[in-house]
Amino acid sequence: MNQKKLVVIGFLGATLDAGKGPGRWEKWRPSVALCQHDNLLVDRFELLYQEKFTELGQVVLEDIATVSPETQVELKLVNFQDPWDFEEVYAVLFEWVRGYEFDVDHEEYLIHITTGTHVAQICLFLLTESHHFPGKLLQTAPPKRYRGDDPGTFTIIDLDLSKYGRIASRFAQEQQESLTFLKSGIETRDPAFNKLIEQIEKVAIASKAPMLLMGPTGAGKSRLAKRIYELKRARHVLEGRFVEVNCATLRGDTAMSTLFGHVKGAFTGAVNNRPGLLRQANHGLLFLDEIGELGLDEQAMLLRALEDKTFLPMGADHETDSDFQLIAGTNRDLHRSVAEGKFREDLLARINLWTFHLPGLKDRRADIEPNIAYELDEFARRNGSQIVFTNEARRQFLKFALSAEAVWSGNFRDLNAAVTRMATLAEGGRVTPEDVADEIKRLTRSWQGSGEPVQRGGLEQVLEPEQLAALDRFDRVQLADVVAVCRTAATLSEAGRLLFSTSRERKKNTNDADRLRKYLARFGLSWNALKGI
Amino acid sequence: MITIDGSFGEGGGQILRSSLALSMMTGKPFKIEKIRAGRQKPGLLRQHLTAVKAATEIGQAEVSGDTLGSKELVFRPGKMQSGSYSFAIGTAGSATLVLQTVLPALLTTTEKTELTLEGGTHNPAAPPFPFLEKSFLPLLRRMGANVTVELERPGFFPVGGGKFTAVIEPTGMLNRLDLCERGTIHEQRATALVAMLPTDIADRELSLIARRLEWKNPVLKTENVTTSRGPGNVVFIEVESEHLTEVFTAFGEKGKRAELVAEEALKEAKQYVRSEAPVGEYLADQLLLPLAVAGGGSFVTSVLSEHTTTNIEVIRRFLAVHITVTELGKRSWKIEVAS
Repeated sequence: MNQKKLVVIGFLGATLDAGKGPGRWEKWRPSVALCQHDNLLVDRFELLYQEKFTELGQVVLEDIATVSPETQVELKLVNFQDPWDFEEVYAVLFEWVRGYEFDVDHEEYLIHITTGTHVAQICLFLLTESHHFPGKLLQTAPPKRYRGDDPGTFTIIDLDLSKYGRIASRFAQEQQESLTFLKSGIETRDPAFNKLIEQIEKVAIASKAPMLLMGPTGAGKSRLAKRIYELKRARHVLEGRFVEVNCATLRGDTAMSTLFGHVKGAFTGAVNNRPGLLRQANHGLLFLDEIGELGLDEQAMLLRALEDKTFLPMGADHETDSDFQLIAGTNRDLHRSVAEGKFREDLLARINLWTFHLPGLKDRRADIEPNIAYELDEFARRNGSQIVFTNEARRQFLKFALSAEAVWSGNFRDLNAAVTRMATLAEGGRVTPEDVADEIKRLTRSWQGSGEPVQRGGLEQVLEPEQLAALDRFDRVQLADVVAVCRTAATLSEAGRLLFSTSRERKKNTNDADRLRKYLARFGLSWNALKGI
Repeated sequence: MITIDGSFGEGGGQILRSSLALSMMTGKPFKIEKIRAGRQKPGLLRQHLTAVKAATEIGQAEVSGDTLGSKELVFRPGKMQSGSYSFAIGTAGSATLVLQTVLPALLTTTEKTELTLEGGTHNPAAPPFPFLEKSFLPLLRRMGANVTVELERPGFFPVGGGKFTAVIEPTGMLNRLDLCERGTIHEQRATALVAMLPTDIADRELSLIARRLEWKNPVLKTENVTTSRGPGNVVFIEVESEHLTEVFTAFGEKGKRAELVAEEALKEAKQYVRSEAPVGEYLADQLLLPLAVAGGGSFVTSVLSEHTTTNIEVIRRFLAVHITVTELGKRSWKIEVAS
C-alpha cells in the first residue's frame, strides 16, 4: 500500500461510547462504529480519555480490536478538572497538540468531533480550523434506526475547502489577533531594508519629529507609516489616533477644510462645524501621503501647525490646538519641486529631518519570498481560508518573481494583487503551477508599455552630467532601458538575451553578450561598472 | 495481460476473488477494471483488500491499485509460497471468503500451508463455516485434496472477531468429481446456535423445525456458544445423502422472530429435498473452481445463479477448459467441465 496511513484523533465518549455486557453491541457507539465502516480504514486511533473512564477505554479498545483488527488503538490520557470549562479544555488540548508529533508526509489525520463535551468539540474545531491539527474533521452519525448491524454514516469535513469559508471567516478575526501577537510582521531578508527598519524603529521611539518616507508607488509607505504608528503607540510615544490622507485627493476648499476643519457657515455647504484631520490627529499621528501634491496655501498652514501646534480652521475666529506627529510620504523629488516653486523650502526643511528612502520591490529581491508568505497570511485573514502553493508552483513563481523579466513596476501593490488573484482562483486552497503560469501572463501583460524601465533608467547615476548632456534624447531613452535591464539581470548573458530576444531568433550565431558589451562600450560603460563590481 | 471487467454479471467482489484465485493458480497476471462499479459504495472495500492482501502474500505477487475505494487493480503473481499465515478481516467481513480466494491455488502446491483466519465465520452472503466444514470440504477431500478446518470461535455479523484455522496438505493432482445424483437421503440434522442471547431462542427454532421438517427422526441440537466476541444466532440444517451433504443456513437478527429464522432455513432445505438436483445454489458456486483445477467433472444443480454464470466466464478467461451448461428440466441444470 502506498497510501498515507489514516489516523483518527478523538475523545472517548463518556456517554456515547459507554456500554457493558453483550448489550453494548446493540447500541451505536461512535468510536467503535467509525471502525466498522467497510469503506473507511482507520490505521491508528488516538483515543483521548479521562482517568475516571479508564475501564471504559479498555472495553472500547478491545471492541475496536475485534471489529477492526487493522486498527491500532492508542489510549491517550488527558485530564481536565472540568470538561465544560472552555479555557481549561482549550489549554489542555492545545498543549496536547503541541506535544504530538504529526507526520503529515506519511499520515493523514481526521479529528473526530462526535464524542466529547460540546466544549471539547468546539475546541477541536478551533484547533483544526487554525491548522494546529493538520487534518480534517470527521463527523459520525447513527443510522436512522440502530439494530446493531449498520455503523451509520460518516462525513469528512475539510475546513480548507472554500465552501466552509464562511464558517471559517467568523474565526478569522480572532486568528488574526493571535497572528499579529505571535508574528511581528514580515521576516524580511534584504539587509539594507532591515537596517532601514532598525533606524526607523529607533527614530520612531526616540523622536516626535516629522519623518519623510520617500519611494516609488507601492513600495509600502502607507503600510510602514501605520506600523510606525502602532510601534509608537505600543511604546507609549503617542496615544491618539492614526489619521491618514492622500494629498493628491485634496483639492481647493475641500483641501483646506479636510485638513484644518471649518466652522459652521464658513462657506456654502459648511452647515456644521468640522474639526479637520489635523485636529483628529491630536496626540496621534497624521500621515500625509503624496505631500508633494499639497497646494501652497495648505503647505503654509501645515508649516504653522507643525511649528506652533496651532492653526486656524476656515471661518474660525480662534485658533485650534493640535499636538500631532507627522509622517509625510512622497514619490517625487521634493527638492526639484522646491526649485520649480511648487513646494515650500521651509516646509521641506521642517519635514526632512528624518528622510528614509524605501526601495522598490525589484531592489529588495530577497524579500519577495517572505512577502508572498505575508500576503498569503493576509489573504487567509481576510477570507478565512488558508491558501498554500504546491512546491512546484512556489518554485515557478519565485523563479519568475526574481527574474529580470519581472519589473514589478507597481512594487508591493503588484505583488499583493498577484497573490490575491492566485489565492482567489486557487481551487481547494492550492495554488498550482497552472495558476502561476496564468498569473505570470497577467503580470507580464500589465507591465507591457508601462515605460517603467525607460523613465527610471537612472542614467545620471552611471554617466557624468556632461556625458548625459551630450546624448541625444534618442540615445538616452535606449540607453536608459539597457541600463535598467542590466541592473536587474544576473549576468551579462541574461541581459543580452532579454535585450535581443527577438533578433536572436533569426541569427545563426547568437552572441548577445558581446553585442551588449560593445553597445555599452560606446558610452564608456562596462558590465562590471554598471553592477558595481 | 488478462483484463477483467469487474462490473459484468454479478459485478461484485466475487469476480475479484475468482480472478485472484485463478491468477495465483495459473501464474497469469491480470488487470481488473470497474471494480464493483454499480454498487452503492463502489470500488474495493476493506474485506476485498484483505482478500487481495492474502493473495498477494501467499502468491508473492506484485500488486497495484490495492487501496480503499480503488476501481482498478493489477495483480502479477509470483511463485506460490506455502507456510503459516494469519489474516484478520475487519467489519465482520467473511473470513471464509478469504479462504475461498487462496484455497484453489493452495490445493496443488507441494508443501503444507496453515492459515489462521479471523473475522466473520457465520455471515449471510458468504459461505458459513458449517457449510465449509460439512458440505464443501468433504467433497474436496473426495477429489483428493487434504484440507482440514477447525473453528476456534465463531464470529457473527456485525461484531466479527471469529477465528478458524485451515490446514492444507499437499496432494499433487486433483481427481475429477461427478455429482449428478445425490442418492438416498440418510439423515437430516438441525442445529441452532446462540451466543450471548437467551437459549430459548434456539429452543423455539428447533421446536418449529421438529414440527415442520418432513423427516421422521431429525437430529436436533442446541449449541450455546460462550467463546464469541459478539452476540449471534444461526440455524443450519444438514441434509446427508448417499453422495454428499448439503447445508442450509439462516441468520437471526435483532427484531426478527426466532420462528421466522427457522422458517428460512426450512424453506431452503425443503426445496432442496423436493428437487432431484444434488447440488444447491451455493455449493455450485464453490465447486466450479476445484473442478476447473482438476480439469474435469460435472454436477447437477437446482439453480443457475448469476454468481455461477459469472464465475464460468472468469474461469474461461484464465483456463483453457470447456464448461458446458445444459438445462435438464425445470430447476435442473447440468454443468460439465472438461479440459
